[in-house]
Amino acid sequence: MAAAKPEPAFLTTARDRQREMVEQYYSDLASAGGPKRPVAYMLVGGNLTEIVRSFGFEVVFPEIVALNCAIKHVSLPNILHAESQGYGLDVCGYVKNDLGLQELGGQTPFGRIPPPDLLVCSFSGCYVYVKWWEALAEKYGCPLFMLDVPYMRDAEPQAEDIQYLVTQLNEFIALLEKITGRSFDLAELRKTLARSRKAEQGWVDYLASGKHRPSPIEAYFEAVFYMFPINVLRGTDVAADFYATVNEEVRARIAEGHYPVPEEKFRLVVEGVPPYPSYRTFWDFFRKWGAVSVAATYPKVGGLFDRGFLHDPARPLESIAEYSLGAYVNQSWPLRRQIIGEYIRDFEADAVLIHGIKSCRSFTAGQGDLRDRLIHDHGIPTLYIESDHEDPRYFAPAQIKNRMDAFFESLDRRRGSVPLPVVNA
Amino acid sequence: MTLVAGVDIGSTTAKCALLEAGEVVGKSLAPVGVELVKDAERALEQALAEAGRERREVAVVTGTGYGRFKVKFGQFAVTEIGCHAKGAHYLFPATHLVLDIGGQDTKAIKVDAQGEVVDFAMNDKCAAGTGRFLDVCAAALGYDVSEIGTLSQGARRPVKVTNTCTVFAESEVTSYVARGKDPRDILAGLYAGIVSRSLSLMQRVGVEPEVTFTGGVSKNEGMVRTLEQRLGFKVNVSPLSQYVGAIGAALYGLERTEGTSA
Ligand code: SF4
Repeated sequence: MAAAKPEPAFLTTARDRQREMVEQYYSDLASAGGPKRPVAYMLVGGNLTEIVRSFGFEVVFPEIVALNCAIKHVSLPNILHAESQGYGLDVCGYVKNDLGLQELGGQTPFGRIPPPDLLVCSFSGCYVYVKWWEALAEKYGCPLFMLDVPYMRDAEPQAEDIQYLVTQLNEFIALLEKITGRSFDLAELRKTLARSRKAEQGWVDYLASGKHRPSPIEAYFEAVFYMFPINVLRGTDVAADFYATVNEEVRARIAEGHYPVPEEKFRLVVEGVPPYPSYRTFWDFFRKWGAVSVAATYPKVGGLFDRGFLHDPARPLESIAEYSLGAYVNQSWPLRRQIIGEYIRDFEADAVLIHGIKSCRSFTAGQGDLRDRLIHDHGIPTLYIESDHEDPRYFAPAQIKNRMDAFFESLDRRRGSVPLPVVNA
Repeated sequence: MTLVAGVDIGSTTAKCALLEAGEVVGKSLAPVGVELVKDAERALEQALAEAGRERREVAVVTGTGYGRFKVKFGQFAVTEIGCHAKGAHYLFPATHLVLDIGGQDTKAIKVDAQGEVVDFAMNDKCAAGTGRFLDVCAAALGYDVSEIGTLSQGARRPVKVTNTCTVFAESEVTSYVARGKDPRDILAGLYAGIVSRSLSLMQRVGVEPEVTFTGGVSKNEGMVRTLEQRLGFKVNVSPLSQYVGAIGAALYGLERTEGTSA
């Protein structure tokens, strides 16, 4: 067998940088907590990272800790522990991973997760958030701030909704001043937002490159890695610099003809949270068929920046309000369908793949109907498959592979192809 | 004349169909064990024996079913979804929808006029509503599954049986037996439960005649009748209904030898 060719250096820079950033983040976190470097827990959708950081808080996103646990195959003990405490089978896996982990002392293979000094719940589309944060507040007895984000039924944010949120943000700032004894520094927030905006623009450019044929990016599996800075490190120079590196790499991929799948056969739009415990296996089911995701909704859970929204230092609180409204899970189903429809058109997709989460009642609820509507409205082949984002017990590789093989096989047949040789199967 | 073989390794049985000049000239069906590679070999050998043909005469072997990659001696592998579509179209060219109820899964496949898959839906990991479900419930009634096909005739008050879990259904059947319910009513209740589960899968892809019912469960008359009652029209059931996947696989192989995809 010929030895595998080493990857060209330009293909590993961004990936290595991403790994370093994640390691750095968790190693910094391990020593955080207490009055000097207080810790705020936040949810990804509609988060208030910039405000919290401007008060010197370190930020923990338990959803991201949970997905990191799952991808590293350590989520199950946490889940089982939470179940032993009475959390049922159908409770969201993120919640069970987090609460189990908290009870077990917060140690993960990537570092210790410090307990919260402040809980910030951005209630943006998922009602589970509220109960989860209440459980944490009960356990830790720390302040809990509830940001009530109105559900988005119109494509544009309404003035009343923005005003409602700005009022809450002012209350939040007053609370932060009280907790930290520091005064709010508007100039500092504007600077932070300017850095966020730069990172967001870089992220948007990266996502747009999926329109290129063949796609130089994997807009689901790869973007999920690259969304870490946009969610966790927004407002820092590190995030903005990272996307500059990524986009340089994307340009090199195009110039050198290096694509995520060597021969792009199917361009997909992907919807849904990934099955993190079997991430690589699931990805392989796509690659084997020359299928590449050209656009995906999930990497936008932290913000729909690709649809024209960027934080605006000139309108700090208003733009944070608009940002919170724009969380993907906070969009009504007609809006979600519209977004997916536009991805199908703009990214010239051949098919849609929906991955539903057994234990999710918010992001996932409605995806069965979504499948039918996409087929009906766009005539686009759409496959729905289901497992879990956290719980490895729900991932049945043979069944999932079988459905995906049958789906890709039928797409292939429409192009007049004959069956696959066994050797490649 | 090209002799082609399709080998369908399912969750409970291995089937083989040999085709020549558009006709099924040999077939075999046997339960699968733990050694799927050997089961696949045996399926082909038995079908050849039935046809009185030799292994070397077979031009192409195509594997299908969950164990399709275990058909090591085969040249091609196609999912059972594609093969059921193709096989049903071969037996009943006006098929628009295939309902296949096998040992451990149920699938509804929408097919186009060429027998190509347009859309499909499958049951979840649970075996409720599949052949296995029927086996378990027949046993709880004290019958073998092969005996219950016509038994539901004359049912007057079908009972309600949960249709979401095999284990629950089995204990429900046992409790109905203990309460002295007429086995015909229990069976009719079971069939109604399986059919309503299947219908929800069928509706996901769109119900449109002709419907071709395949797989082991389609051999059960009570099931066929219940399905027809709910649909309001007759469904196609072939005497070869358990071989539809294998036939489809053989047809794919034939296409390949002829270099067409028609
Ligand atoms: S949206 Fe779903 S996955 Fe996310 S926290 Fe809510 S229930 Fe869990």
